Amino acid sequence: MRASFPYLGRGSWLARRDPRVLLLAGFIFVIGAPQLRDARQLAAVLVLALGYYATAGIPFRAVRFQWAYLVLVIAFFAFFNMLISGGRTGTFAHVETHVLLSIPPFGAEISVEGISLMLSQVLRFAAIAAVGFPIAYAIAPGDLGVALRRLGVGDRIAVMVDLTIRFIPTLAGEFGETIDAQRVRGYDPTARKGGPITRLRRMAPIFVPVTVGSIAGAEDTIDAMDLRGFGVGRRTWLRQLHFDRTDWLVVGAFVAFAAIATYLNLSGQSQHYLLPFLIEH
Amino acid sequence: MTSMAMRNSDGTWSITTRVIVYAAIGAALYALFNYISFGFAMPGANEVSIRPHYGLLTFFGFAFGPIVGFLTGFVGNVVGDQLSGYGAFTSWQWSVANGLAGLVAGLFPVWMASRMTTTGSKAVTAAVAGVIATVIGFLFIFVELVTQQEMGFNAILTTEYIPVIIGNSIAAAIVTPILVLAWEPLREQIGR
Repeated sequence: MRASFPYLGRGSWLARRDPRVLLLAGFIFVIGAPQLRDARQLAAVLVLALGYYATAGIPFRAVRFQWAYLVLVIAFFAFFNMLISGGRTGTFAHVETHVLLSIPPFGAEISVEGISLMLSQVLRFAAIAAVGFPIAYAIAPGDLGVALRRLGVGDRIAVMVDLTIRFIPTLAGEFGETIDAQRVRGYDPTARKGGPITRLRRMAPIFVPVTVGSIAGAEDTIDAMDLRGFGVGRRTWLRQLHFDRTDWLVVGAFVAFAAIATYLNLSGQSQHYLLPFLIEH
Repeated sequence: MTSMAMRNSDGTWSITTRVIVYAAIGAALYALFNYISFGFAMPGANEVSIRPHYGLLTFFGFAFGPIVGFLTGFVGNVVGDQLSGYGAFTSWQWSVANGLAGLVAGLFPVWMASRMTTTGSKAVTAAVAGVIATVIGFLFIFVELVTQQEMGFNAILTTEYIPVIIGNSIAAAIVTPILVLAWEPLREQIGR
């Protein structure tokens, strides 16, 4: 079984940036984007976010499944939110809604307000995903720990994240071996018989050895780190990171975006936009 | 020396080498199983999905303390999302909620140390801790009332919170004690 970070954006303009840029961009964007509600503003933000995403050079073929799943999940939740709220949330919380369709037996309503809210939600999530995808695909996996450290995260937590990433392929291998070993003993991981509790208990022959074996094996890692004096003094990192002028410009652009979004939010200039052509209809 | 005594001497909130490595193992396992997307639907309630590996998160919190629990849930979910390619911050509120559930599960052994005298009582406490930690930790997703103003309270409650609570509570109540029962003899053996 393969489980590792595919470095799909290798060599792209965004991958050549300091990895802290991608992390900061994602973090700042998540602060700014939720403050915008107007679908027109969010559509413009999505276009900019897709422009940023394009600089990561991630081949669409490699991530089409992720995009399809993401859009499907977002649309699913936004649709159910529309049915449950009837469009009476956000800016439209206290207005009379324009009902287009009432669905029996519970009378769930599809309203112009609900569709407008759904559009804002989908646009915002897609924009956040577009800025977030490069973190997964355009940062070299080995750079994540040092990037977090240079962003001010403590040495120990940065090492912990580094270790997590390093452990994944090893644990994936152990997981595969455990399944094979249990199959030899007659275990069928694909069995669909029984209720949910029976099926949960049936997972024990997989979960227990993998988990307990990993924890027992961790003792060697702990001893090795302790013997090398981990945590007793200031830690140094082999990999050096440098923020160049372009990196500052990119981060500055994201800070400006968050500032504008905050201003629009606080000044009341980003209310949910009621799609006019649906009302005329 | 019992694990409780060991933890108290280290300090519940101190970040030692042991905490770092256990948290990394927990997060890696949680991320891996999130990536593999283990899970099956409850009969008659297809919106409720049971993820057995959720029990790992409450187990790591319960067995190794609140810091390990939080890091297992938070980092495990973030890295799992990264592995799947959805981006670290796309569902950041869910990552925090997972972390909080692990943290709350880790507080139970501190609060109830005197009552956990046998392996059996530890297993029962672990099951209860897993369920309560899930109910409390996932309250954080109501932050969506602020971050996604299109989501009404009822929508978050019925499409997100309740289905997640049901599925994860079942997984925590069954998988956490199984792992505690498997881990305790080994812990005694290696003297931790």
